[in-house]
Amino acid sequence: MPEPRSGRRPLPRRAVLAAAAVGLSTALTSTLSACSTASGSTSSGVTLTFSWWGNDDRAARTEQAVRLFEKEHPGVTVRTSSGDFGAYLQKLATQAAGGGMPDVAQLDYRQVSQYAGGGALMSLDDAMKDKTIRTSEMSRDFLRTGTYKGGQYALPMGRGITGYAYDAAVYKKAGIPTPQPSWTWQDWEKADKRIAALGLKSPDGRPYTGANDGGGNEDVFETWLRSRGGKLYASQTELGFTEDDLTAFWTFCDRLRREGAIAQARDTVQANSTETSPIGRGLAAADFTWDAPFPSYPVLLGDSVHFAPVPTTDGRQGAYFKPSMLIGIGAHSEHPKEAAQLVDFLLNDQRVGDILAFSRSTPPNRKIAARVAKTLKGPEREIYEYAQTMERYGLDAPPTAPPRGDVAVQTAFIREYQRVMYGLATPRQAARELIDEADRELRS
Amino acid sequence: MSTVSTRAPARPAPTTDRHPPSRRRRQVRERQWPAYVFLTPWMIGALVLTLVPMAVSLYLSFTDYNLFDPPHWVGLRNYTEMLTDDPRYWRSVGTTMLYVVVAVPLKLGLALAVATLLKNLDRGRAFYRSAFYAPSLLGASMSIALVWRALFNDGGTVSDILDSVGIHAGGWVGNPDLAVYVVVLLTVWQFGAPMVIFLAGLQQISPDLYEAAALDGAGRWRQFVSITVPMLSPVVFFNLVLEIINSFQVFTPAFVISGGKGGPADSTMFYTLYLYERGFTASHMGYAAAMAWMLLIAIAAITLILFRTSRSWVFYADEEGR
Repeated sequence: MPEPRSGRRPLPRRAVLAAAAVGLSTALTSTLSACSTASGSTSSGVTLTFSWWGNDDRAARTEQAVRLFEKEHPGVTVRTSSGDFGAYLQKLATQAAGGGMPDVAQLDYRQVSQYAGGGALMSLDDAMKDKTIRTSEMSRDFLRTGTYKGGQYALPMGRGITGYAYDAAVYKKAGIPTPQPSWTWQDWEKADKRIAALGLKSPDGRPYTGANDGGGNEDVFETWLRSRGGKLYASQTELGFTEDDLTAFWTFCDRLRREGAIAQARDTVQANSTETSPIGRGLAAADFTWDAPFPSYPVLLGDSVHFAPVPTTDGRQGAYFKPSMLIGIGAHSEHPKEAAQLVDFLLNDQRVGDILAFSRSTPPNRKIAARVAKTLKGPEREIYEYAQTMERYGLDAPPTAPPRGDVAVQTAFIREYQRVMYGLATPRQAARELIDEADRELRS
Repeated sequence: MSTVSTRAPARPAPTTDRHPPSRRRRQVRERQWPAYVFLTPWMIGALVLTLVPMAVSLYLSFTDYNLFDPPHWVGLRNYTEMLTDDPRYWRSVGTTMLYVVVAVPLKLGLALAVATLLKNLDRGRAFYRSAFYAPSLLGASMSIALVWRALFNDGGTVSDILDSVGIHAGGWVGNPDLAVYVVVLLTVWQFGAPMVIFLAGLQQISPDLYEAAALDGAGRWRQFVSITVPMLSPVVFFNLVLEIINSFQVFTPAFVISGGKGGPADSTMFYTLYLYERGFTASHMGYAAAMAWMLLIAIAAITLILFRTSRSWVFYADEEGR
């Protein structure tokens, strides 16, 4: 038997095995244990839970509105929670799966079908019938965005619309007329080329282009499609467009980018906020965006940035009023009446309207919107007037809530167009791949 | 010494002891129960937090489960779809393999090189050891991944430095050919943990061996190849197994650097990221569970192969003469 040297024991084989086993078992649990739900117990009286996503400003205003509700409903306590969008969606899905859906929850347009169809949301039809929740000041078309199979499961909390943030000073320099609600995709192409032809340089010395590349943006595609009379979804299980439609759109964007009229691929893939968008980095004159985030553009880039309509096809506008977010009641809420009262209070109380103002885009209640609008200034006023202009111009009715598979389709849309941008697929190949994937998602 | 307890009692044949075997067994049992008492918290944890979720995940892997409707049994469909009808699955396997094959040797090579340098350092070894170890503590955090993202973005520090020397590559994060190496570099930078283990292993090697070799006229390289490498082989093996297992599970840095999307154009869509996307974005929990089990099987198989091959290249001093 060899003498063990004191203090010098080489690593035994068993230790390696044990470590390997521990490492292996984490393979299964580490990624999936990242999410957990916390649920509390009800205290005396009625306790409601209410959650939303959004920035600090929205959180502070919402808290204030909730405290007012508690004051007027003695015995009701509202426990609130909020987070950023991505984390919120995943947390809510896990909560809903565990039967721990909050009593009242802010919802994304894309969640409505999934949550209503999965039995996580309570039907609001009764509460609307007995006027616990009043909807008389809201547009009927707009209310449809919260329906699933004919029933109302969610109500819009804010009304948003797509638009086009552009630098009016650059447009003037290039001799491009101010974009009107009827300007067309051809006008847009010409504008981009003229701006590129100015030969301006970005701060890092690269060519300045006309706009960001909306090819990977499902919202831009939907606007383009609607302006040609199409739609994104024909039903809850079927796409509303063909391979040819998508190929045409991607070929159009791809060509403009190759010609240098719109932003380069590497700048498109890194854009995830106003600051990182091509216009925010001084690489382009315009950005397809939404009305709610628009006020951050002039703050960053100066007062020459204005908000214009998205281009049309022969005057037909594809933009539509979309719920920027909705509100619903958990299917297993123990206090559906109080939950409905809270929903009504948030949507229809004038004082709440003053507190929340435009923190969730235009309030859906017309009276409140008009009242709040009087206090608006600068870019906020501009987006409010923009919405009114678009309403006057005439928009096609909004579609019903997108099917449950839309979340996956939207990510696939970005990815497949990236394959086009980096030359990994032709527009037609990518379109076929997207449609295959979307069909799989919609059928399952 | 632990060997004492396993040795048979050095007593002569029992004449007074009437029931030696059963008594010994009782003694053993009596000696063992406190161990189980102290292990209880860990065992409850293992059961509730690891074994039960594993069992549930195995069940879910044979179902179609979208978090909202009850799981629906589909047999092996998730597995067959994954292996035969999902090009993105195989792309994610390829990306992960590329990452493992590049990152693991680089990280271990760097760890061994730095450990060798530190071993020969006379002063300040503790300081440098801590300094090189620090990234391993920080590296797993979100904030470091965010800093990394900023470094390698367009207009970030790295592209500025490369610009100044005439290489206009732009940001790596936005380039599908380079994005994966941003994650590789972040991993390699955290070489501290294997380095500390290498360092401990190097210090275990008896200086007598080096002295004897030096007397025989062996140079430094010769000593490294003929003494350090074989004597250190169990440690190399240990680090290799751990790093491979960990690398297959790379998640956080890729998630943060690609903004959770595995982009651009799926170039950083690692296996776990795709698993996460299938489960939490597309709500195909059954498919995600099946992917997790395939990963477990694959890592177990690779580990098994490593153990098999290790017999021919790992030298265990304690197995000498067996």
